[in-house]
Amino acid sequence: MKKYFAAGKSLPRPDAIEKVTGRAIYGDDIKFANLLYGKVLRSTHAHAKIINIDIEKAKKFPGVKAVVTGKDLSHVLGGEAIMDYPFLAVGKVRYVGEPVAAVAAISEEIAEEALDLIDISYEELPPVFDPLKSMEEKAPLIHDKISSYKHIPVIKPIDNSNICHHVQFVNGDIEKGFKKSDHIFEDTFTTQRVHHGAIETHVAIAQYDPTGKITVWVNNDGPHRLRKDLSKAMGLSLRQIRIINAPYIGGGFGGKGGLKEETICIALAQKTQCRPVKISFNREEEFTSTITRHSSVVKMKTGVSKDGKILAREVKVVYDTGAYAEKGPTVTNQASVAAAGPYKIPNVKVDGYCVYTNKVIAGAYRGYGIPQVAWAHESQMDIIAKKLGIDPIEIRLKNVLSEGDICPTGRQVMHSIGLKECIKKIKKDIKLIEYHDKNIGKGIACAFKNTKTPSGSSAIVKINSDGTAEILTSSIEEGQGPKIILAQILAEELHLSVDNITVSSPDTDLTPFDASSTSSRTTFHMGNAVKKAAEDAKQQLLKIASELFKVNNREVKMENGKFFVKQNPSKTMSIAEVVTSRYGAGMDIMGRGSYFPEVVGEKGGMWAAPSIFWMYAAHEAEVKVDKETGRVTVLKVRAAHDVGKAINPMTCEGQIDGGVVHGMGPALFEEVIFDKNGEVANPSFLDYKIPSALDMPEISSFMIEKHHKQGPYGAKGIGEMTLVPTAAAISNAIYDATGVRIKDLPITPEKILNAIKKKDI
Amino acid sequence: MDRLININLNINNEKYDLSVKPNTLLLDLLRDEIGLTGTKRGCDTGECGACTVLIDGVPVNSCIVLAVEVDGKNITTIEGLSHNGKLHPIQETFIEKGAVQCGFCTPGMILSAKALIDNNPDPTEQDIKVAIAGNLCRCTGYKKIIEAISAAAERMRRRE
Repeated sequence: MKKYFAAGKSLPRPDAIEKVTGRAIYGDDIKFANLLYGKVLRSTHAHAKIINIDIEKAKKFPGVKAVVTGKDLSHVLGGEAIMDYPFLAVGKVRYVGEPVAAVAAISEEIAEEALDLIDISYEELPPVFDPLKSMEEKAPLIHDKISSYKHIPVIKPIDNSNICHHVQFVNGDIEKGFKKSDHIFEDTFTTQRVHHGAIETHVAIAQYDPTGKITVWVNNDGPHRLRKDLSKAMGLSLRQIRIINAPYIGGGFGGKGGLKEETICIALAQKTQCRPVKISFNREEEFTSTITRHSSVVKMKTGVSKDGKILAREVKVVYDTGAYAEKGPTVTNQASVAAAGPYKIPNVKVDGYCVYTNKVIAGAYRGYGIPQVAWAHESQMDIIAKKLGIDPIEIRLKNVLSEGDICPTGRQVMHSIGLKECIKKIKKDIKLIEYHDKNIGKGIACAFKNTKTPSGSSAIVKINSDGTAEILTSSIEEGQGPKIILAQILAEELHLSVDNITVSSPDTDLTPFDASSTSSRTTFHMGNAVKKAAEDAKQQLLKIASELFKVNNREVKMENGKFFVKQNPSKTMSIAEVVTSRYGAGMDIMGRGSYFPEVVGEKGGMWAAPSIFWMYAAHEAEVKVDKETGRVTVLKVRAAHDVGKAINPMTCEGQIDGGVVHGMGPALFEEVIFDKNGEVANPSFLDYKIPSALDMPEISSFMIEKHHKQGPYGAKGIGEMTLVPTAAAISNAIYDATGVRIKDLPITPEKILNAIKKKDI
Repeated sequence: MDRLININLNINNEKYDLSVKPNTLLLDLLRDEIGLTGTKRGCDTGECGACTVLIDGVPVNSCIVLAVEVDGKNITTIEGLSHNGKLHPIQETFIEKGAVQCGFCTPGMILSAKALIDNNPDPTEQDIKVAIAGNLCRCTGYKKIIEAISAAAERMRRRE
């Protein structure tokens, strides 16, 4: 058993002290001289042609310095997967809340007043809100010509339709599989739009310099990705755009990536003669005009043998991506790969559709489309178990993937699978004492999740002459913990104290490339980059030490942070002594490391290759259902997660606790509600409730370490996985308590009461 | 709307003599005019608790309080908790127990906890949950926050 110096220890986070003293700086805390404030005028129609925008009165309003509309950027279209996104509406509006015009003024109040002076005339077009209706041939076209948009190679839009992406995975022979089956199950499961609920809202400050270079201070989760998206959209070189992250981001969960307030800020900043412009979204705008999770319709057809072996599974999943594609097509891809579940299934067919509707955009959200398919496959697994009279835990153990199995959608041989261990850990922990309360039920669910592949990360490790160090990295800190995890990895490699390491904040002029801090990829990808950079620094130090010791390079060793000649281990030099002895006049040692996974299919570009690692988890929920009111109380959740290696067990537990409670919301009560005009009807925390401390169940977390050959110390990822199985576990527990099966999220008291009534009739 | 109103506040044991517009919110006064940015804006409707400050020891959502309403009051913000670099026990336990992730809810959460413990030195888990029910957190699931508050209460009892 390898003994680690720093990796695997529950060390406290270095950013915690700033945060508990109120000194941590977030986007809205940064002060600027000569600042202008931007406000956005938004569409009041779900689908309409813009006939005219009159900005003359607004331009003349005292204190107003700039007014912009889509006309100012009519040639600009952005978007990572499909470039269909105008910075401000051009020609038509496609959802209520879409930005149409914006004002920059010397105060927020003046900017708001000036918005009222802008007159817009629209010609309404028929909207379509339901994704299944939107797929029909007669549906109004939301984007007139999808084929005119640039897109990345893996995306396949269907022209003359509202389907911006269709992906299909086939493995084996689905018809043969169904023919062999003793039982066939067909069910449809649906999920709703939900909001990320990060407590900090979106904020950006943009400023041009006289050469035309733009600097954007922002709370975005992928600074290099943002730079690239802006560069492609605006036709600027990468060097002409600088993204400086606010030191800390107040939560993201996928909602703070891509192009949102940044683009409007930049549009205004183009007209303010190099004065900085700030846009800070209010909570209402967070709900109406950023992104939500994709709602979904999942049709699952499964064939099983009478002893519970899954022989065939056919899945059709439709994701409602709203008015613009944003991350929708890649969500559809990632989730379709995982749609059949973490099971060994010889015959699989998955069709994933990403569909436009005239509603607020849906995009990246913790789990990236997989919570929706997990909700379906884990609910159906219990339906199957019940019908066949097999225990829900046993039927899963019978079917889950093992090392070396083929992924159900084909494409890859699976490595590092800790799912059996997760399920068995939970099975062992469930007390054999049954609850005596008939209203209490237990349910289990398991799932897996991939990471975007290929994607790259680079890091520079700077060793100072006193042996302390900095890590230059573009990983962002939004609570997931790179400030401690990356420091622990460097500490492990060079035997440093984490107290002597600073992890930088991103600045795309200075910190090297990172694809993004998303997709649960940071520990694995940036961790590997830091590990390589540390190794590079170590090799440089060994060479210098060997020169100082006057021996051959191969005769010097580094152990426990000390350098010595193997033959004479009592005479040692520290890192500081090595550097200062060599460079008396002053110097540092720079180690650099880049990690880009070597995978089959990587030449296909972003999202093209099978996932470099998969995360696995099982959740068990115990709920009490009040059969008079339909109210569900989640009493306890056991969550077992295969993380590869827990570099910091305390932060892993924190992720599990947070994910479980986060997952309860969409399971039981969270829903973005649209009125008949496509407007968000509940854009506030008053009407859209996220779980509070009173909702917290008892949580037991377990970490399984199924080492991954290529992860740093075997580590994989955890962040998104923590809410993937939760909804199905709760739903299965509700079924256990009441005998009613709800197939539509959220599982509200009304749905439970109606189902109980129907059952009793 | 142009006239300014004179108010006197005691913020973190420092006296302030201010002239404010009648419609200035306490949150904006603290963040923009005085420069104490530790108190956060999350929702503008008093729902999330990120803007929690103590007014005469009572936790209040500063985003829905007018500055003129608190003339003559004692206000405690997160910046007022540590003295001469020494952390308050609640700040210590939040760090030790891993109760901080993104940190945005943390200032409000700690002040709600302080108000609880100052009034109830031995709170139960349910007491703690009720006290922080108005402080929303999306990151931590509340578990380590509750453990930290409980540990802080114990530490404060022992130090007395």
